[in-house]
Amino acid sequence: MGETKEKGGILATIVMLVLGFIFVLPILLLVMNSFKPYSDMISNFLAFPTHFTLDNYKEAVARMDFVRVFLNSAYVTGGTVVVGLIVSFFAAYGIAHIESKDGPFWYILFTLGQIVPFHTIMIALQVMTTKFNLNNKLTVLIGLYAGFHCAFGIFTYVGFLKSVPRDLEEAACIDGCGAFRTMMQIIFPLVKPTSITIGVLFFLWTWNDFLMPSLMIGETGKRTLTVMIYMFRSNASSDWNLLIAALTLSIIPIVILYILAQKYITSGITAGAVKM
Amino acid sequence: MSILFQKRRKFYYALIVPALLLYAGALLIPLFGGTIPYSFLNWNLMSGKKSMAGLENYVKLFSDSGFHTSFFFNLKLGVFTIIGSNLVSFVLAYFLNKNIRAKGLSRALFFIPNIISAVLVAFIWTFIFSQILPNLAETMHWDWLGSISWFGSPGTATFTIILVSVWQQIGFLMMIYTAGLQTIPIDLIEAGKIDGCTGLRLIRDIQLPLLMPTITINLFVSISGAFKAFDVPNAMTAGGPYGTTMPVAMDIYKEAFVKYNMGYGAAKSVVLFLVVAIVTLIQLNFTRKREVSY
Repeated sequence: MGETKEKGGILATIVMLVLGFIFVLPILLLVMNSFKPYSDMISNFLAFPTHFTLDNYKEAVARMDFVRVFLNSAYVTGGTVVVGLIVSFFAAYGIAHIESKDGPFWYILFTLGQIVPFHTIMIALQVMTTKFNLNNKLTVLIGLYAGFHCAFGIFTYVGFLKSVPRDLEEAACIDGCGAFRTMMQIIFPLVKPTSITIGVLFFLWTWNDFLMPSLMIGETGKRTLTVMIYMFRSNASSDWNLLIAALTLSIIPIVILYILAQKYITSGITAGAVKM
Repeated sequence: MSILFQKRRKFYYALIVPALLLYAGALLIPLFGGTIPYSFLNWNLMSGKKSMAGLENYVKLFSDSGFHTSFFFNLKLGVFTIIGSNLVSFVLAYFLNKNIRAKGLSRALFFIPNIISAVLVAFIWTFIFSQILPNLAETMHWDWLGSISWFGSPGTATFTIILVSVWQQIGFLMMIYTAGLQTIPIDLIEAGKIDGCTGLRLIRDIQLPLLMPTITINLFVSISGAFKAFDVPNAMTAGGPYGTTMPVAMDIYKEAFVKYNMGYGAAKSVVLFLVVAIVTLIQLNFTRKREVSY
């Protein structure tokens, strides 16, 4: 009995791994072809590279102003994660401590924001940012993302803060620890797993977003990665060797993040969905 | 009321202010001060015309065949994507939950497409469909494959968009099904087996009913996700051929930023919002009723 189970386990393992590799085959083909010279690529897409080259990468980086675009994306994403986390934590901490009916009121007001699709506000947002001359500013983008995503941040933080015992804060108060210090030095470290989870999701949502930056940013030098890739595809649609090199470069940061924070991505995504 | 609250009341209220300012600027004001009031205006940004329209925009929606096309395309995309991605991801989660090795690696492989930007995902598949498959057909002399125009007809274009959407969503749904399957107590399954309940019956009569909360979540996520479809069709087919693969969100985009009809676009946005809200509520209500407890 034990033996058959073991054998079945190995067979099933191999089947699942093979299926998994077939599943990501489009990505593997993309990466593999990005190292081939153009003529080799178009003669046979399925062959392994015989003349390994980085020329596609060199040219893609130069033509797309890749470094700058990458830094733009990094600035907006980093800013959103930091600002989004701070404002979400502050507000959630406040809401969790307000003992009158105001607490639930603010909680519901923020929570409902999660059901509003971005597409229903994009027209208004575009009109308003144009009117107040806020287009083409990466910092404005950070504010908008933080404002849009804090609905989820607050929702998640409040859920977690409810389980933190109040005695801790009362003890700190008796010891003469001020309100702000209690929040930052005693409670904030306690919610670290939640912060990482929310932070990882903010990262993914911002880094991968296309619509908001494509509406708000018209200036070439301020484009984010997704928008730049999109523009490059429309302008140079036949240069597939360059495009796949750029696509590979854009996927790398996300894959690295996934390897580093696999545990938090998984738990964040599950927690985010399950709590609904 | 605790002493701590009385003492620090102002502090707690002040903490909400930064988030509230950003939230108001990014969501509340655009929604209530923009989208909703605009939807009652007859407003074209190009001609500069701006006048009260009352319910005119909403009435117009009933006879707008372009909007109907995109609405039904969206429905079709939603239904097929939801069924396809939920079926595959459940089967994967089911087998990945069994006694196998290298679970982490297998899960990671199925999950990776989910964390890549939808625009990039669309281009990866465009590369496959427009470059690799025709090349393969040529070298292997598979004329049937070479003759398929993946983005050329409404049918094939819809198929590719559904395929790519399913591919991207599987990883996410699989994770949630996995989490759900792990919450089912082992002794319940063992008890079922002792009573002679095995194989598919075990799945149907024991695991699926206990998974109802998870299924609720996944249907909710995929339905609201379907109505937010934009990036994949936009990057793969740009709505073509002839606007047959244009989801509602993209139709709104075109109305406002290509035709500059801000008022009419806003009315479409309100409808999208209502549809998402209503579908979600009905669905939550429906699956919640079928949930069982043990």
